[in-house]
Amino acid sequence: MRKLFRLLLMLACGLLAACTAAPTPEPPAVARIGYGGSPDTLNPGTAVLTEAYTIFALVYDAMYTYNLDGTYSLGLAESVDRSADGLTYTYKIRSGIKFHDGQPLTARDVAFTYNLNKAHAEYPYMNPYTASMESITAPDDTTVVIRLNAVIPNIESQLVFQYVLPAHVWQAHAAGAAAVEFENETLIGSGPFKLLEYKQGEFVRLGANKQHFSRPPKVDEVIFQTFGNPDALVQAVSTGQVDMITELPNAAAEKLGKAPNVKVVSAAPFAPAVSDIIFNQATSASCPSKSACTGNVALQDRQVRVALAHATNKQQLIDVLLLGKGTPGLTLIPNGLGMWFNNSLQDYEYNPAKANKILDDAGYVPAGWSDGIRCAVPVCPYGSPIMNFRMYWPSDSVDAPRMAELLAGMWKEIGVGVQPQAIDPDALTALCCPAFDFDIMLWGWGSDPDPNLLLNVMRTESIATGSSETGYSNARYDALYEQQSVELDLKKRQALVWEMQRLVHEDAVYIIPYYEMQVQAVRTDRFTGWIVDQNKLDLSDVSSLVNITPVK
Amino acid sequence: MHAGQLLLRKAGSALLTIGFVLVLNFFLFRVLPGDPARAGIKDPRMTRAAQAAIHERFGLDKPVLPCLASLNPLRRGPCLVNPLQTQFFIYVNNLLHGELGISYHTKIPVGQLLRARLWNTAVLLSAGQTLAIVLGVAGGVLAAWQAHTRIDYAALIISLVAWSLPTFWLGLILLFWGSRYAGLPIGGQLTPGLAAAGTWAQFTDAARHLVLPTLTQTIIYLAEYLLIMRSTMLDVLAEDYILTAKAKGLSTFQVLKDHALRNAALPIITIVALNLGFTVAGAVQIEAVFSWPGLGQAIFESVARRDYPVLQGAFLLLAVSVIVANLLADLLYSWLDPRVQAAL
Repeated sequence: MRKLFRLLLMLACGLLAACTAAPTPEPPAVARIGYGGSPDTLNPGTAVLTEAYTIFALVYDAMYTYNLDGTYSLGLAESVDRSADGLTYTYKIRSGIKFHDGQPLTARDVAFTYNLNKAHAEYPYMNPYTASMESITAPDDTTVVIRLNAVIPNIESQLVFQYVLPAHVWQAHAAGAAAVEFENETLIGSGPFKLLEYKQGEFVRLGANKQHFSRPPKVDEVIFQTFGNPDALVQAVSTGQVDMITELPNAAAEKLGKAPNVKVVSAAPFAPAVSDIIFNQATSASCPSKSACTGNVALQDRQVRVALAHATNKQQLIDVLLLGKGTPGLTLIPNGLGMWFNNSLQDYEYNPAKANKILDDAGYVPAGWSDGIRCAVPVCPYGSPIMNFRMYWPSDSVDAPRMAELLAGMWKEIGVGVQPQAIDPDALTALCCPAFDFDIMLWGWGSDPDPNLLLNVMRTESIATGSSETGYSNARYDALYEQQSVELDLKKRQALVWEMQRLVHEDAVYIIPYYEMQVQAVRTDRFTGWIVDQNKLDLSDVSSLVNITPVK
Repeated sequence: MHAGQLLLRKAGSALLTIGFVLVLNFFLFRVLPGDPARAGIKDPRMTRAAQAAIHERFGLDKPVLPCLASLNPLRRGPCLVNPLQTQFFIYVNNLLHGELGISYHTKIPVGQLLRARLWNTAVLLSAGQTLAIVLGVAGGVLAAWQAHTRIDYAALIISLVAWSLPTFWLGLILLFWGSRYAGLPIGGQLTPGLAAAGTWAQFTDAARHLVLPTLTQTIIYLAEYLLIMRSTMLDVLAEDYILTAKAKGLSTFQVLKDHALRNAALPIITIVALNLGFTVAGAVQIEAVFSWPGLGQAIFESVARRDYPVLQGAFLLLAVSVIVANLLADLLYSWLDPRVQAAL
C-alpha cells in the first residue's frame, strides 16, 4: 500500500513538473561554414587574405554595398549628392546606427576611417582607395563631404571596401606604427554580425546583430571553421559537420554532388579573376629604357597572335584543367565584372586549318632547319629567328604546367614551338615588367569590381611603369581609357569600356583561355535561403548569410 | 669521467650546436627567393611607398650585413654601415633579449604564436607517442618471446605494412573512415562554439578530436618501436644469463621484466628520444591532414608566405628540441648502462 502511494506521489510530481516546466528553448540556429584559410589579421588596414575580407564584410558596414549582380546600393548612406564639377560628393549618413558596443555610428566615424586609410601608405589595399581623395570631412554627425583631386567615374568601388571603423576604439591607435600594429581583437563594427570568438588558424565565431538597420540575420550564429586541406573540406560537408564549404577541388565536384543532402553550385566568382596567356609585344620603339625587350618578333604581328588564338582549343583547356567548371574567356575584363564585361564579342573559333592559312598567307613559312617550326619573320631568310617561344609561368601555379603542355600540343599543329619553364613568381615579375624579357607567360589577375585596374594594364603609359605585361600600344585605346576614366554617366562609360574590349580582342593582345567558375557546396537539409540564382556566386557573402533560415 | 664533467661537456656541445643553428637559421631563409613584403600581397596597386613602409616596419630596409644588401638576389651594399644597424645584428640582439620578432603575416609576436602552437603539438604528440611506445614495446617483447610463431609473423607483417604507409595517406584514409563511420570530427582541436559548454563536454569533445590524429601517429610509430624492440629482445633472449634466469625457475614475466627488458631497452630509448625531437617537425603532415593548429601547420604556412620570423623561431624550437632530446638520450643511456659512461 505504501509502495503504491509512493508511486502515485511520484507520478503526480512528475506530471506537475511536466506541466509547470518552461517550454524547452529552441536551440540557437548556428550555420557552420568550412573554408580553407583563416584571416591573417583582424586589422582591416593591414589584412591581405580573402578570408579576412570575408569576415570584415559581415562585421562592418561601408558607404555602399556591392551586390551579387555587380551593382552597388547605398549602405550607411541614405543619399548622395555630387557637385556639378564632379569633384565633391556629399553623403548623408543614416542616423540611429549603432556599433556592436552600443556607441552610435556617425559621419565622424566615416571621415575618421577614410582619413586613417589615407594617412597610412602601409595599408596595402585600403590606402590606394583614397588616392583620389583630397579631403574627407564631417561637418556634422550625418554629413560626410569627400573632395576629390580629379574626377573619377567609380567612387562606389573606392568606398565599398573601406569598412567604417569606430573612431572611439581606433583613435588611440591611429597614429604612426600603432595603426599597423593594432590587432583589433574585439573587431567592433556595425555590420549584420558581431565577433563572439576568434582563434587564429582555427575558427571565427560570429553572432547575429538582430538590430542591424538593413539586414538583420535570421540565424543566431555563423561559424567559419578552418580546414587544412581540400579533402577535409569535402568530407566535412558530406558528413554534415559543416553546412557549407566555400571551395572544393573541381575533381571532387561530381562525386560530392551525388552525396545525399549536398548540392554543388557553380557560377562566376563574386571576386572576379582571370587567367591569361600573355604575349610580349614590346617593340624596339616602345621598349622602356633599361629594359631588355627580348621578345620574339613574330608576336608583335597581330596575324600571328590571331593565328595562335584560332589554334587554341579553349574548351579542351576548360575540360582538362577545370573539369568543365569554366567558361571560355574573351578579354582581360572577366564575366564576373557584370555590366562591364562585353559579352557581345565573337571569339576566334578553334580552327587549326584557318590558323595555318593565316600564317601561310602572311608568309611565315616553316624554316628548313627547324623541324617544321615556322620562321618568326615572313619569307624566312636563312638564319632567321623561329617561332619557338619561351613560355614562362609562376612556379606556384597549379594549372599552368598542364596548360603549357596542352598549348604546346595545340600550337605544334600550326608549326609553333614552345620552351616551357616554371619560374619563381618574383623572378618572373623581374623578367616581366617592364623588362619584357620573355615571349609568352601564363599568369592571371584578380580584379576590383571596377574595370579600371585591368583596363589600365593595356595602356601605352603602363609600359614604362611596369603595369603593362604585354607592351601593347594603341592610341585609340589610350584615348578611350582617358574618356572612360572621367565619364560619370554609367551607360556611356559602359559603352566606352565595351569598345576598349572590342579593340584589344580584335588585336588579340592576350588569349584568355577561360574564366574559372566559383564552385561551392551546401547542405540542403540544414538551412534554406542560400542565394544561388544570381550571375555570381558567393555563399559566404552577407547576402546569403543574412537570408538563410533553418530547415523546419 | 666524472658524471658532472660529462654533463658539462654534453651541455656545452649542445649549446654550441644551438649557437650554430641560430646563425644558420638567419641565412637559411634569406636565400629563399621572394620578397616577404610582396609574398602575401599580389595587388599591383600596392605603391612603392607601401612597399617601403612594410620593408621599414620589418627592418627589411636595412642591409643583411655590411657590404651585403640582401642575400636574394645576392646584392652588394655599402660596406661603411653601422654593423649595429644590420639585420643580422638586430636579429641576434633580439634573440639575446628573448625576442623572436613579429610575424610578417599575422603581425603578432612570434613567441606568442609559437607558444600556443607548441602546446597544441605537444598535446598531439604526447598522446600518439605514449600509445606508440607502450604498444610498440609490449608488442616487440611479445613477438620476440613468441619468435617464429604465428603471433610473431603477424606482428612482423603488420609492422612492416604500417611502417611503409605514407603518413599523409594513412591520415586521409583514417579521416574518411573515422568521420563517416564513427562520426569523429574531421579537423581542429575543439568544436567551435563550445566555449560556453561545460568542462566535461569540452573534455570529451577535445578527446574525440584527438582520436584520429593520435591513431595515425600511433600506427606510424608503433611499427618502428615494435620492430626494434623485437630484434634487440631476440638478441638479449639468446644470452646465457637469460638461460640462467629460466633455469633458476623464474616466471616468464620476471625473466622478461627483470633480465631482458632493461638490457633490450637501450636502443629503444635512443630511438624514442630522437623521435621526440624529430616528431615536432614530423607532425607537419598529420597537422595538415587534420587541420591541427600546431607547430607543423605554422611551418607549412610560413614557408609559402616567406614569414622569416616565424620560420626562424620554429626552426630554432625544432633544433633545440632535437638537441635537448639527444642530450637526454645520452645522459639516460649512460645512466642505464654504466659501461657507456666509462667509455666516454
